[in-house]
Amino acid sequence: MTLKNILKEIRQKKGYTQEELGTNVGVSRQTIISIERYRYKPTLELAMKIAQKLNIKIEKLFYFE
Amino acid sequence: MSLSKKELSIIVEILFSILFAFIYMPFFYENSINPHSDLVRKTIEIVIFVIIYFSIAYSLLEIVFKKTEAKDERDDMINSKSYKLGYLLYEIGLFVFIGTLLNNLSFQNNGSIIFLTLMLIIFISFVKSSYQLYLHRTF
Repeated sequence: MTLKNILKEIRQKKGYTQEELGTNVGVSRQTIISIERYRYKPTLELAMKIAQKLNIKIEKLFYFE
Repeated sequence: MSLSKKELSIIVEILFSILFAFIYMPFFYENSINPHSDLVRKTIEIVIFVIIYFSIAYSLLEIVFKKTEAKDERDDMINSKSYKLGYLLYEIGLFVFIGTLLNNLSFQNNGSIIFLTLMLIIFISFVKSSYQLYLHRTF
């Protein structure tokens, strides 16, 4: 089972750049890129901040495949 | 591809290693074949070079990136992975160093350098493992 996400899709739908989202949740643009490419699994705290910022439930944003 | 301040400061360190190798290694290589007493002056020169290089490089970074970068949660993981690799390379390097010393006849009757090097390896290994155990129990 691999942890995946729909972060890029939701981020673009809400009109945020990677840098804007990163700044809003307290991480770098590179971290957002790594999450979107499944290279980095965020901490629970960061995942919740992202979900809150994008106004989406965390279990919809992240899923197991 | 835009680089962050952190990535640029790492590139500064990589460039330093390359510059140092090109500028100073020929001298030390030549010195290993034909020893001469210029080492103290050269060491002072290296220290000055290091201070000037990093002062200029980091000042330029501060000028270009006025905003301080916030700590990112990936930083600890990236740092620990790179330091782990660095530690492994230092250990291998020290064993190569000891092997070179043992190969050199003039050091075979002078065990103090080998003793000191081994003491350092054991001390570093002990501290590293103790700290690792402490973190496992408390982190």
